[in-house]
Amino acid sequence: MKNPRDDRQGPEIREPSRRHVLALGAAAASTVVTIKPAMAQTAASVLNCQIPVPAPEAAGSYVASDGSLVPPGTPGAVPPAMRPLTGEEAKQLLRGGPAPAGMDSQAAQAYANYIRRLQAGMSGFTCYASLQMPR
Amino acid sequence: MPGSRYAADAPHLLRKVELDGLTALFHLPSGTTHILAPPAPEILAVLGEGPADADTLLDALRSRYALVEQEGERSALLARLAELEAAGLVQRA
Repeated sequence: MKNPRDDRQGPEIREPSRRHVLALGAAAASTVVTIKPAMAQTAASVLNCQIPVPAPEAAGSYVASDGSLVPPGTPGAVPPAMRPLTGEEAKQLLRGGPAPAGMDSQAAQAYANYIRRLQAGMSGFTCYASLQMPR
Repeated sequence: MPGSRYAADAPHLLRKVELDGLTALFHLPSGTTHILAPPAPEILAVLGEGPADADTLLDALRSRYALVEQEGERSALLARLAELEAAGLVQRA
């Protein structure tokens, strides 16, 4: 089944048609290392990171209770947050904890749902993702 | 009894950089970075095309690569899948 030409070493995977040699490895070997931020050092910066609600690209949009962005003045939706939420505030909101001073519970719920909907590439996503990291 | 089926995120949710035999991989949905050694990137590539059980996956790898013959091929593959699952890169479908 093996062609001698395939017997070279090397894990290149760019040209699978050339049937590179691939070893599945020993059961006890490990092939995945996850880079975890050094939490002790980054905890402060994580909690100080900011999540604008909504993102600057959507400035002025209101936030519906499910976290979606809607035109200003839409009934049932809340105005944008007056200032970006800090990581610590976002964390509290996501846990259903107390809303920051001056934020009513309807806004807190809308903002929490907005944050849950953040995706890669959107302002605040990296901050949100870092809040999800186990520590 | 059929074995578990495994799934991985589609390639557009991953950013990969080849690093001298290793692959640095940024997983967009979780915002985490992983360093992978073969055959992990190859397994992810196959699963990125659709869920598969271990036997189907083994066949797919065999069709694309010259798998080094070894004892316990299937258990080695299951060990790789378990690692990828623990890292959050593979889920049971």
